[in-house]
Amino acid sequence: MIGADLAILTPEIVLSLFAMAGLMAAVYTSKDGLAPALTWGTALLFVIMAFYIGITGEGSRTAFDGMFVEDSFSRFAKVTILLSAAAILAISQDYMSKAGLLRFEFPMLIVLAVVGMMLMVSAGDMLALYMGLELQSLALYVVASLRRDSVRSTEAGLKYFVLGALSSGLLLYGVSLTYGYTGTTQFAGIIAASGGEMSLGLLFGLVFILAGMAFKVSAAPFHMWTPDVYEGSPTPVTALFATAPKVAAMALFARVVHDAFGGVVGDWQQVVAFLSVISMFLGAIAAIGQTDIKRLMAYSSISHMGFALMGLAAGTAVGVEAMLIYMAIYVAMNIGTFAFILTMERDGRHVTDISSLGAFASKEPGKAMAILVLMFSLAGVPPLLGFFGKYAVLTAAVDAEMIWLAVAGVIASVIGAFYYIRIVYLMYFGEERKGLDGRMGLATYVGLIAMALVIGLGWVPGINLFGIEGPAEIAAAMLTR
Amino acid sequence: MEQILLFAPLVGALICGFSWRLIGQQAACVVATLFLALSCLLSWIIFLTFDPDAHANGYYTESVMTWIQSGTLFTDWAIRIDRLTAIMLIVITTVSALVHLYSFGYMAHDENFKEGESYRPRFFAYLSFFTFAMLMLVTADNLLQLFFGWEGVGVASYLLIGFYYRKPSAGAAAMKAFIVNRVGDFGFLLGIFAIFWMTDSIQFDVILPMGAELAEMSITFLGMELDAANTIAFLLFIGAMGKSAQLLLHTWLPDAMEGPTPVSALIHAATMVTAGVFLVCRMSPIIEYAPVAGNFIVIVGAVTAFFAATVGLVQNDIKRVIAYSTCSQLGYMFVAAGVGVYSVAMFHLLTHAFFKAMLFLGAGSVIHAMHHEQDMRNYGGLRKKIPYTFWAMMLGTLAITGVGIPLLYLGFPVGFAGFVSKDAVIESAFAFGPGLGEFAFWMLVISALFTSFYSWRLMFLTFYGEARGNKHTHDHAHESPKTMLVPLGVLAVGAVFAGMVWYGPFFGHTDSVARFFGVPYAEEGHGEEHADEGHGEEAMAEVAGAAEEAVAGTGAADEAETGAAEEAATEMAAADEGTGAEEEHAEAAAGEEAHAMDEAGDHGEAHYVFTGAPGEGAIHHAPDNHVLNDAHSVPVWVKLAPFFAMLIGFATAYLFYIANPSIPGRLAAQQRPLYNFLLNKWYFDEIYDFLFVRPARRLGRFLWKGGDGAVIDGGINGLAMGIVPFFTRNLNRLQSGYIFHYAFAMVLGIVILITWMTLSAG
Amino acid sequence: MTIGLEHYLTVAAALFVIGIFGIFLNRKNVIIILMSLELMLLSVNINMVAFSSFLGDLTGQVFTLFILTVAAAEAAIGLAILVCFFRNRGTVDVEAVDNLKG
Repeated sequence: MIGADLAILTPEIVLSLFAMAGLMAAVYTSKDGLAPALTWGTALLFVIMAFYIGITGEGSRTAFDGMFVEDSFSRFAKVTILLSAAAILAISQDYMSKAGLLRFEFPMLIVLAVVGMMLMVSAGDMLALYMGLELQSLALYVVASLRRDSVRSTEAGLKYFVLGALSSGLLLYGVSLTYGYTGTTQFAGIIAASGGEMSLGLLFGLVFILAGMAFKVSAAPFHMWTPDVYEGSPTPVTALFATAPKVAAMALFARVVHDAFGGVVGDWQQVVAFLSVISMFLGAIAAIGQTDIKRLMAYSSISHMGFALMGLAAGTAVGVEAMLIYMAIYVAMNIGTFAFILTMERDGRHVTDISSLGAFASKEPGKAMAILVLMFSLAGVPPLLGFFGKYAVLTAAVDAEMIWLAVAGVIASVIGAFYYIRIVYLMYFGEERKGLDGRMGLATYVGLIAMALVIGLGWVPGINLFGIEGPAEIAAAMLTR
Repeated sequence: MEQILLFAPLVGALICGFSWRLIGQQAACVVATLFLALSCLLSWIIFLTFDPDAHANGYYTESVMTWIQSGTLFTDWAIRIDRLTAIMLIVITTVSALVHLYSFGYMAHDENFKEGESYRPRFFAYLSFFTFAMLMLVTADNLLQLFFGWEGVGVASYLLIGFYYRKPSAGAAAMKAFIVNRVGDFGFLLGIFAIFWMTDSIQFDVILPMGAELAEMSITFLGMELDAANTIAFLLFIGAMGKSAQLLLHTWLPDAMEGPTPVSALIHAATMVTAGVFLVCRMSPIIEYAPVAGNFIVIVGAVTAFFAATVGLVQNDIKRVIAYSTCSQLGYMFVAAGVGVYSVAMFHLLTHAFFKAMLFLGAGSVIHAMHHEQDMRNYGGLRKKIPYTFWAMMLGTLAITGVGIPLLYLGFPVGFAGFVSKDAVIESAFAFGPGLGEFAFWMLVISALFTSFYSWRLMFLTFYGEARGNKHTHDHAHESPKTMLVPLGVLAVGAVFAGMVWYGPFFGHTDSVARFFGVPYAEEGHGEEHADEGHGEEAMAEVAGAAEEAVAGTGAADEAETGAAEEAATEMAAADEGTGAEEEHAEAAAGEEAHAMDEAGDHGEAHYVFTGAPGEGAIHHAPDNHVLNDAHSVPVWVKLAPFFAMLIGFATAYLFYIANPSIPGRLAAQQRPLYNFLLNKWYFDEIYDFLFVRPARRLGRFLWKGGDGAVIDGGINGLAMGIVPFFTRNLNRLQSGYIFHYAFAMVLGIVILITWMTLSAG
Repeated sequence: MTIGLEHYLTVAAALFVIGIFGIFLNRKNVIIILMSLELMLLSVNINMVAFSSFLGDLTGQVFTLFILTVAAAEAAIGLAILVCFFRNRGTVDVEAVDNLKG
């Protein structure tokens, strides 16, 4: 019995064992000398696991009495998480060695965070949810302050920790209320007990849980940590924050609202729509004033999370599908963008000032074109993939008769387009200053160009968004059945 | 074959327009011309081999593809070939092919374009595209397809009028043409909507047979009960007015002369402007049951013919004279269509296409010879310098003024094309009856006089007299190249013979017309009975009697007829100079006329009547429509009237411009107000400017400056430059960096959510 | 007076709110924030145990044990980060944590 349960958790167990073994090996041998090998090994293992999950997984299985769910939805999320984490590890290698941050703890902490994320998206019980969430969060608190000798990095870690713990507290309080008013912590039990008229206690529980998760996806007004942490953390960590944990948190969000509270769609729908609108506008408006590109990307991700939440707010299978597609495209765009940000360098020092991009196109036309594609896609300019993501969520909202939400989304995306296009403007028409002079490593170069191609060509008939629509549809159907 | 015919010009246009860089300019133009020649050849084959009897209801359709399926709106893209289409096909493709050929010479060098700039492939591509759109229009099987072609020719016309895009006047003229046509198109669209509303279809084979039923229906609009047939016919005619430059919507046509001359010949004389006439004929089953709209068409046509002719009298630009002439001739066609003889309308359309295209191309040749000088006051004495052009223009003038031998009938009347068809129109107008018919008749006769005057004026000013204007230009005047002369020759054949050859099918006896158009017909009682039934009035009785006697073959001219002829002649005299000599002429001719009538009677005229139900055959005549019959039995003086009008016009022009060239100047000085009135085209442009253009511009400026500028731009800018940065600043200030502020924001968020949820749930 | 479920819940709610207020009213020391966080988690534990007892279901108590464990780990990591921060900044004043803003 336990053997069968463990078999279902094979990827998580393999990764956990790998993390422990890696830690042991590094501590007892050359310490940080092992770091490059560990980084590449981890990335490789992530890719292998992604393929393992993508190819072998089928159907829907549960382990440990429904505590852990392995279905097409969790597989979609896990594959996205693993691949994006692997990509981030690959493109950060160069930066880390230059910055003297190539410590063996970094890949190992990421492995643990990824295990936490995988647990989150597979959670079938509030307890599993909490454990996964904390595993992820504790690992991420540490990597945020990875640069121990920097005020900014440690401050970022501190802020992330305090606010993250606060959000965990809110979530837990919600969990305790839910437990009290439904008598169970299992999602299946909660959905059975929560149908029909909702008791006030359960409503409070729902709101607290949503608030806790909104923090993780950095939806406004629980977003305040995002810009500071993005700016203060080492750039590879920022890149990681912007990708894998967002997918995990969004998938968790979808799982909780559908699996546990699928019977009271009308109640959480309003909350999610509210979070969505606030996030879209806040992200779009606040980003305009930014001069630091990492901070700008933080607001950008807040806005994008608003759009993804719009899909979720629809409360339908189409909405979940749109959200998954949106997240996959979002991750691809962010990997490409951060691959570039990681290599922004002047006189051997990492810079993140937007004005340093002035007249970049005249020096590096190829890279500038790739950035242009990515920025336009982030802004949602057709026919790039970013547009299709936005189109999917807007359609979902309209289908669910939330026209006002869709209209707000369009307005927000127009406002948001401003700062993306400003970056392009700076690159092509900005005045030349002492610009960037860094060289690009192979991995980052490949990351940037590959993502630009993916984003730029994904719409071509025959490529059709690389076929992610099919799995996303199956995953969404699984969740909302 | 039909599809090849239809799409060949499009293929030519695409090849010419898009791949001339690959195959070279000259080759591209040749390709476009060859495709059109192919189209032309096929058109003639269809026209000559088309046998209405071989097909049910006198037409057949060939489906190209399914076009639209939306609710009850179901439309195939199909080619409909019947007699009307066949006639239009030869007109369009023949003139178009010749114009293509002509353009090789005319467009060879153009000072509107810089050295080395390539404009010819563009020109040829536009021409071919125009031809395609026009073919779409005439082969349409439903109203939407027709409208597609309608707009297509509008676009092509816009592009070609504005072809010299560096000239501001050309751009303005192109816009004017497009905008004025929009007014007509609006009516046309409303007409289509009304038809779809009433009949639930836009297919011709559905709506045409419903003409009689439409007359029974009514449209309720804003509480008004409108007669369906009249309303629809009226709305469709509004569209026709725009496209065919009828009065009130005519202002764009003279300005359209800003385009290159071949364009004027093709689009603004021979084909596009006749689309309105074609539309009215095509919708004849509905027009027939819309008497009010029919009368409106007659009035508009007659007044346009008169108005345009008067303006033509004093214009100095050679192309503008011909443009007003076109406008006037279109009025003739509409009169014919309005009184119910659609075959005659088509007849005049056909002959007019030949001689007017020829006049335009001839004018183009003159302009070409005179280095793009268009003012006739700077011409003179060109007869010797450009003899071929002179003779071509002469033939065209003879045709348009209607030179022929009146009352001589050899199985067909003898005369130039214009003579035959114009007289047919005028006689039909007279036969329509007293009142409106007579009004139209007199307007047309006076117009014929004016037509003759300005046409000869054009000839005399251009080819006779002293060379005026720039001496250098005159010294270098040269005959045009072969490519320009050949089309003139071909058109000359048409201008001379078209009338005589096709007299029978278009304006012959009912049976020959019916056979030609594929309309069922049957033998019936004598024509005189109808005459008596149809026209009870006093004034008409006399005419009917005359006709009766003529038919009965009483031989010599009797009192009544002579009186009528005299009356006509006196009228003429009142209008102009003494006509003593011509009166004698009239009397002599009257005998011949009677003889001709006699023959006609022997052939069994009026023994046949149209019996086709609406939708059977290409055109439709209501059972009580006898205009075609009656037109053959009008009094002799009616038949002679246009001829004398022509002679008077010629004599006056001769007097004014050859015998005593000082008269026009003195007359203009004497009658200054009248002269200015005509020179300024009845002040239509000024009135429109005052009534529509300036208010529209004021409104536009208000909406632009006030509405768009202040409110929308201001609003958007205020939002973009004011409010958004305001929020940005404040949001960034909120991001204070203090943990307790962040935590407070989260708590605030959760408090809001809980309050909201509690309230909305409770 | 019997002590019922609602009393436990009230106490827990009060503690939870005190914890939250401790985070954003406190302008002195980051350590106090860590304490407030512990307070919040403990109030959740009270909730859990009270519900567990009331429902006669063990899940809540198991959950409580997990929360305690995680809270310990969290406190360890939090303190570690705080120590790092102190080394760089030289203070643990709440108002000193304001390098990153805007």
